[in-house]
Amino acid sequence: MIKKILLIFLSIAVAAVPAFALDGKKLLEEVDRNLSPESYESYRKLINIEPSGARKEFTLFTVKKGIDKVASVFLAPASEKGRSTLRLGENMWLYIPNVGKPIRITSLQSVVGGVFNNADILQLDYNAEYDVEKVDEKVSEYLLYLKAKAKNVAYDKLKIWADKGKKLPTKIECLTEANMLIKTLYFKDVKDFGGGIVRPAVIETDSPLYKGYKSVMIMAKLKKKTFKDEIFTLTFMPNIESLR
Amino acid sequence: MKRLLIIFLFFMFYLIPPPAAAAESYSFDLDEIEKKPYHFGGFIEIKPVLFGLDRDAAFYKLRFFDNPRAQSLLEANGRIQLEGSYEKNIFRIYAKTNTDLKSSYSGESERTTFYELYGSVKPSANLNFALGKKTMKWGKGYAWNPVAFIDRPKDPDDPEQALEGYILATADYIKSFEGQLKTFSFTPVIFPVYDHVNDTYGNNYKLNFAGRLYFLLYDMDIDLIFMAGGSRTDRYGIDFSRNITTNFEIHGELAYVRNFQKNVLDVNGNRYLVEGDAVSYVVGIRHLTTFDLTTIVEYYHNGLGFSGDDMKNYYDYINRGYDAYQTTGSSTLLGNAQQMAEGGYGRANAAVNYLYIRFSQKEPFDILYFTPSLTWMMNTDDQSWSLTPEMLYTGITNWEFRLRTGIIAGARNSDFGEKQNDYRIELRIGYYF
Repeated sequence: MIKKILLIFLSIAVAAVPAFALDGKKLLEEVDRNLSPESYESYRKLINIEPSGARKEFTLFTVKKGIDKVASVFLAPASEKGRSTLRLGENMWLYIPNVGKPIRITSLQSVVGGVFNNADILQLDYNAEYDVEKVDEKVSEYLLYLKAKAKNVAYDKLKIWADKGKKLPTKIECLTEANMLIKTLYFKDVKDFGGGIVRPAVIETDSPLYKGYKSVMIMAKLKKKTFKDEIFTLTFMPNIESLR
Repeated sequence: MKRLLIIFLFFMFYLIPPPAAAAESYSFDLDEIEKKPYHFGGFIEIKPVLFGLDRDAAFYKLRFFDNPRAQSLLEANGRIQLEGSYEKNIFRIYAKTNTDLKSSYSGESERTTFYELYGSVKPSANLNFALGKKTMKWGKGYAWNPVAFIDRPKDPDDPEQALEGYILATADYIKSFEGQLKTFSFTPVIFPVYDHVNDTYGNNYKLNFAGRLYFLLYDMDIDLIFMAGGSRTDRYGIDFSRNITTNFEIHGELAYVRNFQKNVLDVNGNRYLVEGDAVSYVVGIRHLTTFDLTTIVEYYHNGLGFSGDDMKNYYDYINRGYDAYQTTGSSTLLGNAQQMAEGGYGRANAAVNYLYIRFSQKEPFDILYFTPSLTWMMNTDDQSWSLTPEMLYTGITNWEFRLRTGIIAGARNSDFGEKQNDYRIELRIGYYF
């Protein structure tokens, strides 16, 4: 009898626990790949909207390679043109043409002001920065509970609501270690970018820390592309626009 | 200056966009991102400044001995920067001009120059060559860069201002790796100093060589820098920058200058030459709180600077010259003092030890694009200081509004105490196009 109970218990432990952990990780990797190829180029427009309705817009060209390399350059407005940002893992730099040399920046700062911070703008794959703690399966969606792999990640916890069929996020809540909500991202307007990339073209965000303010990110011309590692270096930062 | 004002008013009235009504639809016109081979842009600013003069200060006497002013002085400054580039295949030409305009008690003045003008070739992502007038901007410090051997000194009161470059030939070679050494790059520079070519830099008829080796090693930026060739004495430098935590960065620079020479004054006002090796360094931190307060702290040891006694002897020399001018009308001593000011005594931070602390709070009270800041700079040897509160607003696309005040305090014969001004109020309105 004891042997039977032990066998049943071990079967459950061996079969259920690793399978669950594997599913969560695999699901997150699928969500990441559905959002973008591992290496790509894209154009983005960021719009900050104030409670009065006043808007400020920024246009960026972004390139990404692998799990930890992202670089962007501002194309507009004129006051920001030529500014570029680089992320290598948790290292981030900002290059301002007038200042002329890259300075280190942090993930919680924002080079554009508004609700999006640098971690949002220079987004890596979620599975590069987070472990899946739990997955709730609902009727039409999954709810993934993510925990940062390291202390220096911008948000300690994420809750990702992902469409079950498309395996694409519909909403992400960004939380502190104490479960305080920092911001919510809403993924909208699923669009076919070509090359098999079908993903939301618009991400809206709001934050209880910025009541009444809203920021929007619109993606365009997202396409798979490979780059040399040397593109993602401080020395190359003044030249990122030449990749267009 | 009047023309600048008219141009500026045109921009003010026609180009400040009215607030848009809230709307839920977003558009991204792909024409906006179509790449053109050429680019043209620029910046125009107008900057009225009110100086509160310290009529007992040495630098006031040096500047206004023959034309004394009242307690305050109003000055209007303007700046136009134009930039353009043209790109074809691996070739690129870039130009940036700067025009400074000033209207003050002494009349109007204008100076136009190319800040940068160079051609570059980029045969691959690893390699880039450039020839022409260019800024290099080496170093990691915010307010000071002792390792920026081939750059003009930046203004620690406004460290983010564009600088004029030098004529040189340079290249970048970049190599990336897997592992703890992620990036290596080498930037050699050939830097001539001849008649009409960088001739204000140092000794003439010399071909100088400089270089920078950059490493991203264990998540730390490290640069090894050198310069040799004779226009200035040989010098070597190292700098680093690293994030200790996400929101806490440390940086530093160290420069070693061989056989540095400077002219100093003894107590009797006689010039003599001091020669020897000198070490300058900067250590600093940058920290960001969860409520978006950025703190920058830097300590600067200027091994090329003048000691407290050197500075006191110089101020005494000016005072003697001023008294001589008052009693005999002779401006010989003050003329010499003016030359020495240009030779080093009149530079910003000409002394030895300085502390710089800057607090800037991003978007307080949820006021988007508004950044108030407070900057404090102190000569730690004589405890004289300047304090600069500032308000910056960038909420209107392509416009920048900055109001700042500078309060300068120090005892007689101290670094900041002998500056020309007691205070300064400055409004800068800039437009990018």
